[in-house]
Order: sequence, then C-alpha cells, then structure tokens
Amino acid sequence: MNGEKTERRMSRREFLGLSALGLGISLIGARPVAAARAASPDEVAILYDPVKCVGCKACQMACKRWNRLPAESTDPLGIYESPRDLSAITWNIIKLRRTQTGWHFFNYQCMHCTDAACVEVCPTGALAHDPLGFVALNRDRCNGCGYCTQFCPYGVPHLRVENALTGAAKSAKCTFCQDRLWEGIGGPACAEVCPVGALAWGRRGELLEKAWARVAELHARGMDVRIYGETEAGGLHRLSILLDEPEQYGLPSAPKTPAFARAWQRIIQPLGNVAFGAALLGILGAFLFVRRKIRMEEVK
Amino acid sequence: MTVQLKGKPEVVTIQWIPKYTFMERLGHWLHTATFIPLAITGMILYFPFLEPLAQGEAGLFVRLVHRVAAVIFGLLPIIYYIVEPRRLLLHIREFLPRKEDIGWLKAAPAYYLLGKHEAMPPQGRFNAGEKLNGLMMIITWFIFGITGVPMWFGKGVIPPEIFRWLVVFHDLAMIVSVCMLMVHLYLAVAHPLMWAGLVSMRFGVTSAEYAAEHHAKWYYGPKRAMEIWEAKKREGAHH
Repeated sequence: MNGEKTERRMSRREFLGLSALGLGISLIGARPVAAARAASPDEVAILYDPVKCVGCKACQMACKRWNRLPAESTDPLGIYESPRDLSAITWNIIKLRRTQTGWHFFNYQCMHCTDAACVEVCPTGALAHDPLGFVALNRDRCNGCGYCTQFCPYGVPHLRVENALTGAAKSAKCTFCQDRLWEGIGGPACAEVCPVGALAWGRRGELLEKAWARVAELHARGMDVRIYGETEAGGLHRLSILLDEPEQYGLPSAPKTPAFARAWQRIIQPLGNVAFGAALLGILGAFLFVRRKIRMEEVK
Repeated sequence: MTVQLKGKPEVVTIQWIPKYTFMERLGHWLHTATFIPLAITGMILYFPFLEPLAQGEAGLFVRLVHRVAAVIFGLLPIIYYIVEPRRLLLHIREFLPRKEDIGWLKAAPAYYLLGKHEAMPPQGRFNAGEKLNGLMMIITWFIFGITGVPMWFGKGVIPPEIFRWLVVFHDLAMIVSVCMLMVHLYLAVAHPLMWAGLVSMRFGVTSAEYAAEHHAKWYYGPKRAMEIWEAKKREGAHH
C-alpha cells in the first residue's frame, strides 16, 4: 500500500517535470511574434513625384555606380524601359506606364515596407529593418534560399545565382544605400542625383507633409493624384505620388505579407513545435512508464 | 571474484531465423543516412534559434548538404524497386490493409504500455503500426519530392502563389515525418518488447520465439496463427 503510494507520487512529479519539459521544447522553437509596427515619422524615406520626373534615368545609373552593379544586356525592342524589370543587378529602374490619363514615368525600387514579407520569411536574419525604418540586406548572412523573392508583394528581391547546381546564391535588392547613410556620405544615391527633385529623401514625417502639400497643389491644378505608401504594408519607406490608381501602375492597392507567410510562420511552425514537444513528451512518458511495467526478464 | 547467482543458472539459446534481406537492410540504412541529414539541415531553416547555422557560408553548406542528400533520398526507393522488382510486389502485398490491423489498433495501448499480448491478433512480417509508419513514409516521400523539386528548380518559373504553398507543405511533411521518426527510434532502440527489431535490421535475423510472439501470422502462416491465437483465447477464458 505504502509502496503503491510512493509510486504514484513519483509519477505525478515526473508528470509535472515532463509537462514543463514539453512546454520548454515547444517554446524554444517559438518565433518571437513581432507586434504590429507602424512607421514612425522619424524614420527615413524616399518620395517620388512623377510630375517632376523627366525619365532621364540618372537614378538608375547612380544606383548602378554606387552599388557597383554591372550593366545588363537588354532586348532591343525599342521600349523605353531598359532593362525591362528589376533584377539581381538592377535595383532601380524607370518604368513607363500607360494609364487612363496618359503615359507616365514611374521609378521602381524596393518599397521598404514596415510590414515586410521578406523580413518575415527570411530564415537567416539577412533581411532586417534598419533602425531608420527601411529594409536592409546583409549579404554576409544571406544563404540564398530565395524565400524573399517568392513572398515579396512587389517582386523586388532577386537571386544572384553563383552556381545553379549547388544552389550558391545571394539575394539582391535596393538597400536604401544603408552604407551611405551610416557612413555620413549622404542619402540614397538615386535621390541625391535626381536633377529635377523627382526623388527626394528625408525624415518620413516631413516627406509626408511635403507630399500632402504637393497633392493639394496638384489638385488645385486640376490633377487627379494620390499618395501611395502612407499606410500600405504598415507604411512604406518609398512614398509615391500617383497620377492614377495603383493598379494602373501595377502596384497592389492593398499590399500585404501573403497570408500564407503568416500562416506558415505563425501557425504551422508553432503547431509543429507543439507536435515535436508532444511526441517527445509522449515518448519520455512511455519510456518511464514501460520501464516500470514491462520486465525484460519476462519478455520473449 | 565470484558471482553468486540466485536460483538455477539458465542458458537461453536463441534460434535465429531470417527476416530482412541484405538489400532491404541496405535500403533502410541508406534511407536513414539521408533522411537524418535532410531533417537536420532542414530544421536549421525552421528553428529560429538555429539561425546562426543558416547564415552565410554555413548556410550555403547546409543547403548543399540538403540537396546532395535529397537526390539520394529521392532516387533510393526508385532504384531499389528497379533492382528488386519482386520485392515491390511482396511489399505491396505485405502493406495492404488487413482485418488484423483493426485488432492491432485496439490492442496496441495495452500491448506496448503494459506488455499484455492476449488481445493482440497475429500480425504479419510488418504489424499494423509498421504498416502505418510505412504508409506515412511513402506519402511524405511523395510530398517532399513534389514540393522539393520545384522549390529547387522552379524559382522564377512557377508563380509565387504556388511556391508559397510548396514551402508550407514541405514543412508539414517534415513535421509529420520527424514526429514519426522519434516514435520509430524509441521503439527500435529503447522499448523492451521490441528488442529484436534493431537486431533484425542490423543482421537480418530475428529470434524464432520473438517472431512467434510478435509476427505470428508471418511465422506460422495465417491459418495456423489464427488457430493458435483462438486456442490461447479459449484457454484464457477458462482461467
């Protein structure tokens, strides 16, 4: 009777210990869930004004020069866009968009989302927010998995593949000229070089004020304009004035981290951790239980 | 030094009988030798606390290991069944669902936790649990292949919307298969009742007494195994 009691007390203690262990195992794997962040006015941003833009592509060239990106051969189709889209070696381009109100230039680069899908899915921490708010890329950390290229709602990051067979690759995208900013050289090369002030950089709060003033001015001139990037994806660090609806520019009107990225990292992965914890716990419990119940001497 | 033995010393002679062929064991261990590196290198991208191993040069190496292991892991069953087509037929026959599988499911808790075998109907060379494990391995092998190959070669070719699903299903297959591996490892290495399992996967033989106890349908044949089991049940009812 006494012995039986001791055995039961042992079991309970073991049960509690095992529960704590299982919980610990599930928590070790838990991804810290970042609280929804809003872009702060003190962060930096770039503002693009298509009414000022003359499509000279100085921004495109300055980006290539500063980031030492090689030239790209393009298709000679007589199209103004050259190259046609962003790539691993082209991080900034002037696109020509035909909207219902006519032909418009649009400077395309990383939108530097606050709620950034690439940062969410990056397994190495190579893509992360700079304290100044934009999305920086640490090439040394990148392992070339390419998840960012598949989850970005703007299709911005591209893989620079070094070896297709071994998978050696590095992600590449606009870094907001993080090096220039932190070395005190100046702002992003594209914005610094723009001869007409179509690209401007500065504190995000001040740029937004400037953008709203500009919108009011253009409205007064009878133009139908809107700001893109104030609230999209938690607030972009590349603000744009648009002469038509975002869709006409090929921009998502409600860019979001794909629901799947969230389901994947915030539901399936934690559930997986619970499954691993439960399996380990069950096995440990079974091990301790069976050891007491089944005697090897009696096993055939 | 002398050792005092309590009671009569007893010599147990084990009669060994063949259970797995050399090729079956080779296949099993190559599968192990590729699945474990795959799981470890995969988990490096899965668990945030392993992030340092995923970064930079280490990360590139991890991805290379994952790819080399994946090629062998993917081709292994195909090569095995090309080399041994008759085993394919045998394995299909052995893994088909049978009536005794339901009996196994009912009797398994008492059997594995308390060592009570009375309610366990005679099982074939693979019992219902091994069949379930095998079935899940086949399913997850397909999922790993269907999702993994496009994740390797399909970036920029397949639409991102589809790619995102692939990553998630690759993860789900990993969660399921790693949980199964943990249970499999426990039963193979630490469960007292299953002592001959690891021996037979290493040396190809099992104890005749063990086979009669755990795989009666295979050891005696279906008819004889049922007769023995029914007789045992009647005997048990009298007591």
